[in-house]
Amino acid sequence: MMLASVIGVGMIPFGKHEERTLVSMGAQACRLALKDAGVLPSGVDAAFFSCGIASRLFGDFTIGQNVFWEVGINRIPVVNVENACTSGSTAFFLACNMVAAGQADVALVCGAEKMCVPGFGLISSGESQLDTQLGMVAPAGFALRAVRHMEEYGTTAEQLAKVSVKNRQHGALNPMAQFRDPITVEDVLSAPMIVDPLTRLSCCPIADGAAALLIASPQAAHRFSHSVHVKSSVLVTGNYENPQDLANWETDRRGAHTAYEKAGMGPEDMDLVECHDAFTISEILHYEALGLCPPGEGGRLVDEGSVALGGRVPVNPSGGLLSRGHPVGATGVAQIVEVVTQLRHEAGSRQVQNAKTGLAQCMGGDKDGDTKSCTVSIFSV
Amino acid sequence: MSENHIKPMLPDIFTIPRDEKHPPMLLGGYCRHCNAHYFPKPRYCPRCLEPPELKEIGNAGIIHSLTVVRTKPPLGLPQPYSVGYVDLEKGSAGSGLRVFCLFDPESVDHLKIGQKVVLRVGPLGHDGRGDTRLRPYFKPVHENEEG
Ligand SMILES: [Zn+2]
Repeated sequence: MMLASVIGVGMIPFGKHEERTLVSMGAQACRLALKDAGVLPSGVDAAFFSCGIASRLFGDFTIGQNVFWEVGINRIPVVNVENACTSGSTAFFLACNMVAAGQADVALVCGAEKMCVPGFGLISSGESQLDTQLGMVAPAGFALRAVRHMEEYGTTAEQLAKVSVKNRQHGALNPMAQFRDPITVEDVLSAPMIVDPLTRLSCCPIADGAAALLIASPQAAHRFSHSVHVKSSVLVTGNYENPQDLANWETDRRGAHTAYEKAGMGPEDMDLVECHDAFTISEILHYEALGLCPPGEGGRLVDEGSVALGGRVPVNPSGGLLSRGHPVGATGVAQIVEVVTQLRHEAGSRQVQNAKTGLAQCMGGDKDGDTKSCTVSIFSV
Repeated sequence: MSENHIKPMLPDIFTIPRDEKHPPMLLGGYCRHCNAHYFPKPRYCPRCLEPPELKEIGNAGIIHSLTVVRTKPPLGLPQPYSVGYVDLEKGSAGSGLRVFCLFDPESVDHLKIGQKVVLRVGPLGHDGRGDTRLRPYFKPVHENEEG
């Protein structure tokens, strides 16, 4: 069973690109993906563009048409996607379904964000929301999960810190990452406290950046030299029931379960994972939701080194959001670029040996104590 | 009371105490068809789509989780400030809902999971444009103290 194939990837290094426009970054990533696949603009049947925040920051909208015309793409269906941190992976989900439905042979997905501007504070869900009025900011929602995970399972501050240390070790090997200096557990614990128990080095930094993917239908994929199969791509929304279990994330689990079921695979089949490590605790919760370890054992998994490069199932070999930074609309696409690069065995010094399967998980937004959106996609060669 | 002219940060979230005898209460939605409580009150009951009624859902509970936000606060909240989840009491007065909340800024360093807390309402932060607003917050109850 195969949904689609990824036939080309493109990405620009994430970081502070003060001199770049959103459109120029997006166009460059698209060009790289098209060149990678050997596809001309006339060979693209549909295109999806995602950004999460730039529309609000710059008062610009339907940016996709501007980006795609820079790489010669016009006339075809263009869709602009916003779904918080999963904007990019949602665009990918839509593109896969479009080619699977026979509505396009080749679809382009581009995620881009420009957010390194003066005065950009913490992300919230908007001032009309009750939680925002009561002081909810993105790191607080995760800190409240961390506190419960520590209470229920004995997870320690050191275990949380080890997620940052591991991802920075991986990021040091990734030229696309913004932060490439190794850090220690002590560095993480002694960094300024943002929201107890999360310090500055436990939270992903913001970034500017862009990434792109070229997708082909199963029928069209054989025309291309290196294609990676999309076994499943799933998008789920929060349940918003009360009460929420903060230490065991139902929405995260449901997304993973559905993706495994559709792919006919399980967590034991995964050679590597890219997940949404916006905060150290997020990654530990995702280990458990993705079935990489039993509930409550996420802290131990990072302690044992099972999720580091060279371990049983490396998680975030790219360095994750903690090293790349998090250009909201580009993140979900960049994660898939990494999985595809790994499965093509082109990841250089951070290559996961013999990688044949991989998973990309992303999550975005807060509402009523749950996430707004969660995506899980499974890949194989 | 000088707080009388200060507006709540959002309508229909809590009652404003008239005097000491009437403690503030959180307001939520109650659907009589589904016997279900919600916080805040939704426009429609998500189960049967009838409009729920506005109902007091409790003013006391137990801390389920808590954290302290130490960075530059939004909406003029104090730095640092504490937020968390409180499990409201179940039973005649309470709904048993788990609600996201602010805690008393005075108690930031004295909060624990499992601690009993009670609702207060007072001027706390502003509306985003500098106008002070009333907000609900929970304050720890000590064993020898009532509400
Ligand atoms: Zn109902």
